[in-house]
Amino acid sequence: MNRPPSPKRSTPKPLPRAVVRTALMLLGVAALWFWIGWIDQSLGRTSYATGYLLFGVIFTLAAYNVRKRLPGLPLGSSANWLQLHIYLGIGSAALVLLHSGAKWPTGWLETVLAGSYWATFASGLWGLYLTRTLPKQLARTSEQYIYERIPILRREILDQSRTAVLSAAGDRGATTLAEFYCTRLDSYLSEPRGGLYAIRPTSTLRRQLMRELSDLRRFLSQAELKASEVLFALVRKKDDLDFHESRQGLLKRWLFVHITLTCVLLTSAVLHGWLALAMRGGVQ
Amino acid sequence: MPSPEVATTRPQRWTEPFGADTDDALVDRLLGIAPFKHMDPAAFPKKLPLRDLLRGDTRVNKYKPGDLIVREGDYGTSAFILLHGTASGTLERLAVLGELEKPSLGQRLKRSIAQLWQSPKVPEARSLSVNTNQIGSSSDVGTRQANNDTRLFLQDVPGVLDEYQTTKIQAGELFGEVAALGRTPRTATVFAESQCLMLEIRWQGLRDLMRYSPALSQHVQQLYRKNSLDAHLSQTPLLAGLSENEVQQVAAATQFETHGSFDWHTDLPEADQETLFERIAREPLVAEEGTAPTGLLMVRSGFARVSQRRGDGHQTTAYLGKGQVFGASELARSLLEGTPAVLSHSLRAVGYVDLLRIPADVALELVLPKLSADELLNLAQQTDAPLPARTLDYLVDRRLMNGTQAMVIDLDRCTRCDDCVRACAATHGGNPRFVRQGPTHDQLQFANACLQCVDPVCMIGCPTGAIHRDAETGVVEINEPTCVGCSTCANSCPYSNIRMVDLHEPGGAIVVDETTGTPIVKATKCDLCIDQLTGPACQHACPHEALVRIDVAEITPLAEWMTK
Repeated sequence: MNRPPSPKRSTPKPLPRAVVRTALMLLGVAALWFWIGWIDQSLGRTSYATGYLLFGVIFTLAAYNVRKRLPGLPLGSSANWLQLHIYLGIGSAALVLLHSGAKWPTGWLETVLAGSYWATFASGLWGLYLTRTLPKQLARTSEQYIYERIPILRREILDQSRTAVLSAAGDRGATTLAEFYCTRLDSYLSEPRGGLYAIRPTSTLRRQLMRELSDLRRFLSQAELKASEVLFALVRKKDDLDFHESRQGLLKRWLFVHITLTCVLLTSAVLHGWLALAMRGGVQ
Repeated sequence: MPSPEVATTRPQRWTEPFGADTDDALVDRLLGIAPFKHMDPAAFPKKLPLRDLLRGDTRVNKYKPGDLIVREGDYGTSAFILLHGTASGTLERLAVLGELEKPSLGQRLKRSIAQLWQSPKVPEARSLSVNTNQIGSSSDVGTRQANNDTRLFLQDVPGVLDEYQTTKIQAGELFGEVAALGRTPRTATVFAESQCLMLEIRWQGLRDLMRYSPALSQHVQQLYRKNSLDAHLSQTPLLAGLSENEVQQVAAATQFETHGSFDWHTDLPEADQETLFERIAREPLVAEEGTAPTGLLMVRSGFARVSQRRGDGHQTTAYLGKGQVFGASELARSLLEGTPAVLSHSLRAVGYVDLLRIPADVALELVLPKLSADELLNLAQQTDAPLPARTLDYLVDRRLMNGTQAMVIDLDRCTRCDDCVRACAATHGGNPRFVRQGPTHDQLQFANACLQCVDPVCMIGCPTGAIHRDAETGVVEINEPTCVGCSTCANSCPYSNIRMVDLHEPGGAIVVDETTGTPIVKATKCDLCIDQLTGPACQHACPHEALVRIDVAEITPLAEWMTK
């Protein structure tokens, strides 16, 4: 707007970063394939080469958790680390298949190792899906909530609802709204939602309660009508709180699972590597 | 079991006076010289007597020949009066001064590593620390100690006087008031030519002196206008093609205007208590759509809303900050087409705005003809701001365009993992300096973290100058030892981004006032992690690039980030 004039330039639009990074990952996998083939043709031990490389990759993937705990150090941004983590993680599947020969291992240690790797891999993919879909869902609610504050906010909603209902009941002793509140709303407003909601949240209960409250309006006094408007807003807000608790909680629980699986994977990988090196024989 | 308490004296405004050596004898001498001898002590209130103002908010500094008194580019919080000796101010930038240095890499790396082990077990645990400034130096500039302070001095004063354009500072002359009162960088370097004595008045004292002395207030305002005008015109790209003589002609014709209230932050309405119509109606109208432009309006400081009528209301089409111009496209079109100019937008002051008005006839005769045909054509073709109008409305209504480092979170990318909060806490002794919540517009959340405002109103009213702009980085930060916990800054911040916290000793005891028994509090806020190698830890820690510290004072950065 009325800025000093500047020359206009046209520059070609760069490729999306995801395309570039995917291409680099595929190039890396292709290079790996040729490298393994070269080692094999020169009668080298491909399993050791891929083993060392795989251990390094898994260690690098796990190092992201360490990086997160060193916020003030110039180790690269967390966003770049996550991108490396994602592409390295996806690419590591090819390396695992090369290392294991695309066969399911025998023996309990290798079974644990393979199982923990693929479980970690699957949880990683699931996490990628969650982190790309949940933010938009969370952003759609009318307000945003900090996870740790949800119990406090739930308590506030409960207090406000009880205050509204009690003040309406004080008006000429009208109890219609109060009865409805006691039978249908108090438990909904006072408690977090159950296990099924945590897995798959729906707005079914909210819609049902609001329908019932709407149907009740014809029987309410003026004071109760006013209180019912407050309850409408609180029912909506409680549903949003539950949704945030469910989805944000899911992300936190997922991270716990993913890190736990990573610890199992690292431990079994160390054991496997140690055993493999201890049992190493043949021509040196 | 309640935490133990430790009682101490609550600090007052002048508990740590500005000058430890300013005694009654000196105050008596000051009251005998201009401008203080013309002031009426009875005009000052009992709680702010003139004598106490001079004793608590002034100090006398001695300078040796060559000592730098103020340096161009520094953020100043004091004005000066030359008492004795000779001093000069430069009219052009001194190349010998080089660039300001930041804290060394080694120091910042040490700090970053040390904080991993130093997280205290109690919140807001404190031990005193002293900030040291890094002072730039070159072979032409040396450093020496003076009264526990390190000063820069010019090695070759006669050489500087020969090589650069300078102006003499006369005894009794006031300077530095523009930067001190305007919360802006120093526009010139002043150095001592001979041994001299300077009276330094910190801006809180200057503010109070001006409030109760009309003559001083008028004098400062005249200086303010004169110095601001020259500096602003010389830096304006639109006047880049003018000769020195033409610039002087333009300067002579230019009028200086102020619209709105300098204390706009006290009047910021709650977003839901006022309609947009009411809000816009309250903003002082500077220029109206459909009327003839009276000149080129150049923003010197503050902000202005550019709007167009839409239905019964006004839709924001842009906001203008320092250095930007209104009315140029209409005048350019008029020059190209030979038709009378008509404003296609209105201009309103948002909070306050200082403008320079170059009259239309001067603009058409001297300024616009100096542009090339292409430049004139570009200027005549008004381009839409790259942000949607409703987003512009939102930013201006809530004065968010004041922020040069606003924390903006893209809620469509943010997984609410709180890595940003943890990183902030880890880099601040376990105490995060922002809250991950705030006003939301579409998918953007403007979190409660210090915006590092263009116009930091939090600095108004601080009795001790604890909240100040860092001389090296320009970051608005709080010097804790001098913070008295009065909450003026926290109450002044229109965005609720400053928090008052109770202090604890490292052992866990709450620090309380020994007289009243109430906890001693300090102001805290985001400091942009200026002592960290990574810059803002929050942005560095976000795994999804959902959080950014961005300059909302300019429209383009936010538009580019939103479309990334």
